[in-house]
Amino acid sequence: MKISNLLAPDFINLDLNSTDKESVLEELVHILDDANKITSKEEFYKVILAREELSTTGVGNQVAIPHGKSSVVKEASLVFGRSDKGIDFGSFDEKPAKLFFMIAVPEGSSDEHLKVLAQLSRKLMHEDFRNALLKAKDTESLLKVIKDNE
Amino acid sequence: MKILAITACPTGVAHTYMAAEALEKAAKEKEIEIKVETQGSVGVENELTQEDIEEAKAIIIAADTKVDRGRFAGKPILSVAVGDAIKAPAELIEEALEEAKNFKGGQDVYSEVANKKAERRSQRTGPYKHLMNGVSRMIPFVVAGGLSIALAFAFGGIHGEGALAGALMDIGGGAAFALMVPILAGFIASSIADRPGLAPGMIGGMLAVQIEAGFLGGIIAGFLAGYITKWLKDNIKLPATLQGLMPVLILPLLSSLAVGLLMIFVIGPPVQSIMHSLENWLQGMTGTNRVLLGIILGAMMAFDMGGPVNKAAYAFGVGLLGSEIYAPMAAIMAAGMTPPLGLFLATVIAPKKFDLQQKEAGKAAGVLGISFITEGAIPFAAADPFRVIPSIMAGSAVAGGLSMLFNVSLRAPHGGIFVLAIPGAVSGLLMYTLSIIAGTVVTALLITSLKSK
Repeated sequence: MKISNLLAPDFINLDLNSTDKESVLEELVHILDDANKITSKEEFYKVILAREELSTTGVGNQVAIPHGKSSVVKEASLVFGRSDKGIDFGSFDEKPAKLFFMIAVPEGSSDEHLKVLAQLSRKLMHEDFRNALLKAKDTESLLKVIKDNE
Repeated sequence: MKILAITACPTGVAHTYMAAEALEKAAKEKEIEIKVETQGSVGVENELTQEDIEEAKAIIIAADTKVDRGRFAGKPILSVAVGDAIKAPAELIEEALEEAKNFKGGQDVYSEVANKKAERRSQRTGPYKHLMNGVSRMIPFVVAGGLSIALAFAFGGIHGEGALAGALMDIGGGAAFALMVPILAGFIASSIADRPGLAPGMIGGMLAVQIEAGFLGGIIAGFLAGYITKWLKDNIKLPATLQGLMPVLILPLLSSLAVGLLMIFVIGPPVQSIMHSLENWLQGMTGTNRVLLGIILGAMMAFDMGGPVNKAAYAFGVGLLGSEIYAPMAAIMAAGMTPPLGLFLATVIAPKKFDLQQKEAGKAAGVLGISFITEGAIPFAAADPFRVIPSIMAGSAVAGGLSMLFNVSLRAPHGGIFVLAIPGAVSGLLMYTLSIIAGTVVTALLITSLKSK
């Protein structure tokens, strides 16, 4: 399995509206709900917030990876959102985040999915990958960036 | 120059791997060899081997969850939050190298013993591992309970009279000892079935106490609970929406009922009678049999110095404390102390037969011996097993046999000579000291006469 298998065009939003942390999390959860990947929007939002309270998932370098593991998740899913203005996410480096990957994992998820997400997390530590994600003009070219890096 | 790292985070899907990648990337830029073990929700990947650990200069643990550090005994460890590795991996590596430079590593023998213990712990598998998980969790309860009771007798005489003595009795006998068998069973079960095993295990253990099936009943309850819960967990399939009910309703209810009913109607009665006859036999034992038991337990303690045979004897002694039988525990501790003590004495009385390094190891063995860490004999036994092991077995058999002969009793499961200072912990202190000295001398004399050089 590859990252691109998890990331269909419906799960990509290159122009997030939100301007603060809570609303961007809500916006991303909404995408999962619209695609019918979670059984309860409210519940999953709570899980995501609880994870943020533990420690921020804004890992710096403009990247944030809010994630949650819960029984309300139907199957492992990935959402990508981008905000060119940047959103204050309480990141490690105290700079705004522009690239958002929201990861939703069910309880007892298959290892295969988790490995893909691990692979994505590793990729995000590389500057050229991040720059390519920032520069992608549309959904199609974004998917191409991801495919090229698999 | 090689360093190791472990990364782990609560959910185990993202940070673990980001931190690993960040460290690997930074190390590569610095041209330093690194190996990073990730403990994510897929499980452990790229696991560090014993060999890696031996080669490593320093170990970085970047984790927001608990990471077992036992395997790294004797190595410089830098422990930080997982975020720190993502934020500033290069600085972290610098810091680890700095740490390694300043690290004194203690004396080699101590770290060798610690490594050996850690290695053995990681090699434990199957039922033995589960049993030891229970026993090691139980020990603090036995220490607290046994010593509180000892103090109750010290302050309140043989009947533990007076308000303070009464309170100490409540702490030791009423609370700590009452929890001992349930804890044993609970942690055997949770070693088998993870978290869901704890409740049925503890409930089964409590029932074992109530039906007087003692620690034997507790061990059986723990294994039953563990395997039943694991089976239920693996075989009950629920639709995703009801999954949440498994850990909070279905598993605890079904497993506890199954274990509880088995304990009360099937397992309990025969184990209770075995336990009663064991207790009666041990309490009614006369001279020869007492000594024989001491000799056997003693030899077992020395045979593999902290390995399964040693632990079997030890667990037997600790379990009996819960049945208020204290003599075997005394024999077991004496016999566990004499191997390293005897080797220490041997290096003192016959320095010519040992090289400089072994003389250093002898000093460390002395310290480990008075602390009842039998593993202190391992460096010697590893170098010369056919002379050392029979010698220490003989010495321990003497110590164990004498301790039983003198009817010494010990209320604490550990502590070496330090526990002897606690009032009431040992009865027959003089005779006990004599037993330990005799075992030590026998060990030392045998070794020095067997060693030709």
